Amino acid sequence: MINHYIALMKREFWEHRSIWVTPIAIASIVTLGTLTALMFAGEFAQELDVAIFGAQNIAGDTERAAVLTGFFVGSSWLFLIALSILTIFYALDSLYAERKDKSILFWRSLPVTDAETVISKLATAVILIPAVTIAGIIATHIVNLIVTSIWVSAKGGSPGTLIWGSVPLLDNWVAAIVVIYAMAVWMSPFLGWFLFVSAWTKRAPLLMAFLPLVLIPMIEGIFFRSAHFAEAVWGRSAQIPIFAGIDMERFFDEGHARMSEEMVSLLAHLDIGRFLTSIDTWIGIVVCGLLTTAAIYVRRYRDES
Amino acid sequence: MTSLVTARGVSKHFGDVRAVDNVSFDIDKGKILGLIGPNGAGKTTLLKAVLGLTDCDGDLSVIGLDPFRQRKQLMRQICFIADVAVLPRWIKVSQLLDYVESVHPNFTRSRAEELLRQTKVQPGAKVKELSKGMVTQLHLSIIMAIDAKLLVLDEPTLGLDILFRKEFYANLLNDYFDEERTILITTHQVEEIENLLTDVMFINDGKILLDSPMDSLSDTYIELATSGEEALKARGLRPIAESEMFGKSVMLFEGISREHLEGLGEMRTPSVADLFVAKVKEARK
Repeated sequence: MINHYIALMKREFWEHRSIWVTPIAIASIVTLGTLTALMFAGEFAQELDVAIFGAQNIAGDTERAAVLTGFFVGSSWLFLIALSILTIFYALDSLYAERKDKSILFWRSLPVTDAETVISKLATAVILIPAVTIAGIIATHIVNLIVTSIWVSAKGGSPGTLIWGSVPLLDNWVAAIVVIYAMAVWMSPFLGWFLFVSAWTKRAPLLMAFLPLVLIPMIEGIFFRSAHFAEAVWGRSAQIPIFAGIDMERFFDEGHARMSEEMVSLLAHLDIGRFLTSIDTWIGIVVCGLLTTAAIYVRRYRDES
Repeated sequence: MTSLVTARGVSKHFGDVRAVDNVSFDIDKGKILGLIGPNGAGKTTLLKAVLGLTDCDGDLSVIGLDPFRQRKQLMRQICFIADVAVLPRWIKVSQLLDYVESVHPNFTRSRAEELLRQTKVQPGAKVKELSKGMVTQLHLSIIMAIDAKLLVLDEPTLGLDILFRKEFYANLLNDYFDEERTILITTHQVEEIENLLTDVMFINDGKILLDSPMDSLSDTYIELATSGEEALKARGLRPIAESEMFGKSVMLFEGISREHLEGLGEMRTPSVADLFVAKVKEARK
């Protein structure tokens, strides 16, 4: 059963090379960016000496962790944005390309049900693409830390203290995994919609997918003078209930000379319980399930001839 | 003889159009059946129903299964090549074999590789780099490595040159077919497959015009080339079709014994193509 799905997802991996090419491209861009920054930094030798001295002797572990985490969050956002775009295009193409190139009859000549096929495509978008992205994030993180370590030691700093002793690897990585999978589940109703459009449309899946998302809010606005649809659809990505409230006052409170441990911990800012108990999370999963079922039925009942 | 496919009163409507109209037939194990019909006759719709790709009315059973509702179980035991079922262009030959191996319990990879070694298809090549003939060889190698009870071929050699076509059927007959297997073929190039069929079925406007073993065609149908007085006599025996060729009348008789036609001209068994044309014209009258 599982092997069956692994074979189906491998197929997706072969067809959609962007699934692994994109993370490699972003990893290269981030690493190149780091290298360039480090090269330019060489011009400010004096300031660097001061900075390294300060970072090593004045700052504590938490401050160093805060800076390192900042870099991690910055590069991870790049991956997250690319992942979102990649997933939209993947899902829209997944059930459309096989009809366009007419290979659908070949796929359907093998003992694989339409449900298995469509679910494997959903699983690729919700499980496989995020997994590849996370692998890309972690690999980029390690490579960049190594590059920076080499540079720091060349400048006479101690990478042990400055980097490896301070970087909260586990906290950063687990937080990335939680945020990315929560995002995948949270946005899954859109995936269901894209899969359905991909299975159903005769042409221009991208246009067909986004046109209703633009037109319906306009119609609602004109006739009902309300914006429930727009709020639910366009507002959804910003409303993900995974982040714990940040106490801004405490964050900027100058009375605290030192940052607290929990301030620099990414995981401390996440609230998995809130995500899992939010009704909106579950509504999203149900909508995704309904639209995926619709996609299965379209693939099964449509007569292409 | 066990029946592999049983159809009783099978119909398929598209709005008011009856693509398949109350059709009943059996296909027995170990047969090679040619399904022949003009474009739009309902051939493809009937095949799709047999393959579980479309729903239909009436009773249709393939290897004891309901093809539409038990498609997955069915596809473990039957294979098909449809003229439009092109292999995905992006895939590599080796990936294709990997995939079929992992989803198909009755696929023997080594057999497919052995068959591919006899062709110019390289395992590392992508489908889009292959010629149309090579793609068909690849597809056939995969199909022939699947231990299936029923093989359905819908215009499998469309767009191929004569060399590939001949080779295709030779491979099929020599390396694949045995009494345990059954093949259902549709094609426009009737002449090319006539010799390998054991049975033939004509379909037109969704109805079956003829369903017969090839052996008994010669008992039922006689083509008579005749002229002059004899032609008049022969015409009295009511041929189902008549045409002129080289100054002679060529008449086609159905269900008239050889003794009746003795002395009226040259007798022979009509070709499937001629018989088909006659049957379709007769049906349109």
